[in-house]
Amino acid sequence: MISCRNLTRRFVDFLAVNQLNLTVTQGAICAFLGPNGAGKSTTLKLLTGLLPPSSGSITVCGMNVAANPLELKRRIGVLPEDLGLFDDLTVDEHLLLTGSVYGIDKRETRARTAQLLHALSLEHGRHTFAGACSHGMRKKTAFAMALLPNPRALFLDEPFEAIDPVTSKIMRDLLVAVARRGVTVFLTSHILSVVEQIATQVVMIRKGRIVWDSPPAELPLTLEQHYFDLVETPVVEELSWLGSPQF
Amino acid sequence: MARITAILRALGLAYRRDQRSLESVVGNNFFLVTACLLQSAGGFIYLLIGVVLLFPLSTDPLRKIPASRLALWPLEPGERRLLRAVSPWVNPVSWVVAGLAVWAIRGKVSFGLWAAFAGLCLAAFLLSDLPFTPGGTVWLHVPQFPGRWNQLIRKNLREMVCTLDFYCAALMSLGALICRAIRLPLPPEAFVAMTVLVVLALSSYAQCLFGLDGAGGLARYRLLPLRGWEILAAKDVAFLVVAIPLTLPLSPLAGTAAALIALAVGHAPTVNRPRPQSRWRFSTGAGLIFGLIHAACMAMAASSVYFSSSLFLLPCVAAWAGSTWYYGRRLEAPAVD
Repeated sequence: MISCRNLTRRFVDFLAVNQLNLTVTQGAICAFLGPNGAGKSTTLKLLTGLLPPSSGSITVCGMNVAANPLELKRRIGVLPEDLGLFDDLTVDEHLLLTGSVYGIDKRETRARTAQLLHALSLEHGRHTFAGACSHGMRKKTAFAMALLPNPRALFLDEPFEAIDPVTSKIMRDLLVAVARRGVTVFLTSHILSVVEQIATQVVMIRKGRIVWDSPPAELPLTLEQHYFDLVETPVVEELSWLGSPQF
Repeated sequence: MARITAILRALGLAYRRDQRSLESVVGNNFFLVTACLLQSAGGFIYLLIGVVLLFPLSTDPLRKIPASRLALWPLEPGERRLLRAVSPWVNPVSWVVAGLAVWAIRGKVSFGLWAAFAGLCLAAFLLSDLPFTPGGTVWLHVPQFPGRWNQLIRKNLREMVCTLDFYCAALMSLGALICRAIRLPLPPEAFVAMTVLVVLALSSYAQCLFGLDGAGGLARYRLLPLRGWEILAAKDVAFLVVAIPLTLPLSPLAGTAAALIALAVGHAPTVNRPRPQSRWRFSTGAGLIFGLIHAACMAMAASSVYFSSSLFLLPCVAAWAGSTWYYGRRLEAPAVD
């Protein structure tokens, strides 16, 4: 469903993604983990056609990303890093826009919008402009926009960050349910406890290179411990001035 | 005192970095052409332009500090009062008002003129402290449009009415409407000149159609399964929906021609060099030379339709359609960085 071969992306003198080879099967929930600046969001942009690769090939939903960008957009749902919302549209209008642009008829769009707003506890803020929404509301709106066209593949950049626990649980359950129906989910996250519960494939990236790719069951340690060992070891600095008498 | 000095220094730095208000007037087609054409009109016109320029600049400098941050800082009540009293002087407009006051005392400008000037600045200062959210509920009920671009056009309309360009054009259109209502005997040339001025006031926005979408909006455009020409056309429809009604009291056909050419020419900087814009400011165009060429093209299109034949509208439509198709394709190309 998602496949890339020797994927490389260079920004002037910085190699963000380096010879990445990855395959995600249909119906899988692939968690793409790594520290800040490791290349997670760049990879997601490459897979969704938002950025052209410096070299390598990408296939999503059986289509070459570079050759069929418009057709690809019709088949995928994306929660981008910056959420991709317009300040001058309300939550409700964002979903209506998505429905009409993806060619879904008005009645069906309204029905799906109502269900998504209810499921994500967004009903109270449906007439609020995105520019006036909290970060959590904005993220839920962008998540609803990704789901509304019933995509074959979902690409989610840090979907659970800044989300309340109840909505986070609802989102997790929704993702597990759509994956069971054959939708492929590719997500990045820093919340390892959530990832552990839903992922069927764990991929870890460090400095643009994949350092681990397996089902969670094949992890030799807990996900967190393995992440610390393989990707980034936490070093606690002794900040001696913290807590010392000041006044 | 050290704390107040540090805050004022940071405010001054933020003010120097936020020069967009001044740039927006310098790079705005309407002001460029007005400044070029009205050289002989005397100081009053420049004073008027100065007032319009100073209005957005007269905001409260303390607004630059987030309210929660200001409230959290460990400042004594006396320090807060001092900050309140001193911070307006970070804004250069306060010094201009003070300088004019000295001139008024010496009799170089009339006291009434100074009072009007100071009053306007004070009004802008006080208004900037009112809570305001982007979009605002006033524009919640924008009319619906048929077709799948409906929400995009509505969004684009809301963006347009958040620029001062729109209000400048609306004021001129209102003036023309009053002239019509009182049957003021104006020569036919005046109508076409006013028509061009109305569209000119909006034309800088045509050079930066994505300016108010922000980074998130631009990312969304790239994700939507729409062709580039569709995204541009949704922008253009909103522009025409504003521009054509504003030229109704004057010459709507000439206005339509000028608006189509404004869009056709404006697509180049819109797509090639997108410039972020600020709400409640004049739009910043692509530059002096481009602005003058842009204005000349609009004037030629409007004059041809008004003085020669309405058929000249057809090449304007063709130019707009060609530009929309060409720059739509450019828009579809993936981002390079």
